[in-house]
Amino acid sequence: MTLSQDPFSGAPDDALLIAFANGDRQAARYLTARLLPRVLAQATRMMGNPSEAEDVAQDAMMRLWKIAPDWRQNEAQVSTWLYRVTSNLCTDRLRKRRGALSLDQVAEPLDDAPSVPAQMQTRARMTALSDALAQLPDRQAQAVSLRHLEGLSNPEIAQIMDISVRSVESLTARGKRALADLMAGRKAELGYDDDQPE
Amino acid sequence: MTMTNPNDDMLDDLFAQARSIDAKPSDAFLARVLADADGVQAAMQPKQVAVSGGLWTRMLDALGGWPAVSGLAAATIAGVWIGVAPPSSVQDLTASLIGDEVSVDFFATDFAFDTGALADG
Repeated sequence: MTLSQDPFSGAPDDALLIAFANGDRQAARYLTARLLPRVLAQATRMMGNPSEAEDVAQDAMMRLWKIAPDWRQNEAQVSTWLYRVTSNLCTDRLRKRRGALSLDQVAEPLDDAPSVPAQMQTRARMTALSDALAQLPDRQAQAVSLRHLEGLSNPEIAQIMDISVRSVESLTARGKRALADLMAGRKAELGYDDDQPE
Repeated sequence: MTMTNPNDDMLDDLFAQARSIDAKPSDAFLARVLADADGVQAAMQPKQVAVSGGLWTRMLDALGGWPAVSGLAAATIAGVWIGVAPPSSVQDLTASLIGDEVSVDFFATDFAFDTGALADG
C-alpha cells in the first residue's frame, strides 16, 4: 500500500463527483480538467462561436457542481448526463436565434493573430451551420448534433436523449435533410461551388 | 460522383469541419469554472469540516486507493471516515488528536498502526 502521488488519476467521474460533494477541492480540479474540454468542444460545435460556447459550458459545469450531492453511483454516467445538459442548454439558446439572422454577430477572431481569410471562412461556415441548427425543432437539432458533430452512436444518443434508437434514426434523418435544405441557398457564400465542396 | 446530392456533400463537409474543432479552455476560463466549483462547495459546508487539503485523499490511500473503494457508496466511505476521524463535536481525546494536523503523520507511507504511539502522542 503506497502513498500514490496521484490517487485520483484512475478514479471514475462519478467517484470524483462524490468526493467533490464531500468537500474535496482536489476533486473539483480533476473534474474540471477532465470534463470541461469535452463540454466546451460540444458547445462550440453546436453554437458556432466561442463566447456563447463558454457561457453554455460554464452553465453546464455549474449544474454538475450543484447536482453532485444528489448524485447516485451506477444510476447514470456523468458523461451521458453532461452530453444531455449541454445539448439542452445549446438548443435553449439556439431557439432564441430562430427567425433572427446573425447579421449583428460580429465574427470574433479565433485567436489573436490578424484575421486570415481561411479562418474567417471557417468561422462563417460554423456560424451558418449553427444558425441552421437553430431553425430545427430542438430534438432534431440535438439528434443531428450528437450524431454528426459529436460522432456518437445511435444507442448512445438514445440513452442521452432518453428515447428509442428508432426515434434517434428518424430524428437524425429528418434533421439532416432539413439542414441540407436550409444550407442549400448559401453554398456560394460559404465557398462551395455547385459541383463539389471545397 | 454525380449521384450524390451536392447539398449533402456540403453538409457532410461542414460536419467534418465542425468535428475537427477542438476548443481548448483558456486558463482564465478554467479558473472561472473552478471558482464556481469552490463557491458551490463553500455553500455546501457551512461549518469547517476537516476534509480539506487532501485529507480525503490520504484517507483513501490508507484504504487502498480508489480501486479499493470504488464499489462503496458515498455513505459507506463517509462512515469509514467518520469512524476514523470523528467530527470535532465528539468529546474524545483521540478524536481531537485525529482531527488535528497530527493526522498527517497518521497516514504517512510507512505508518504501522501502534496503539502505543497514540498514547504517547
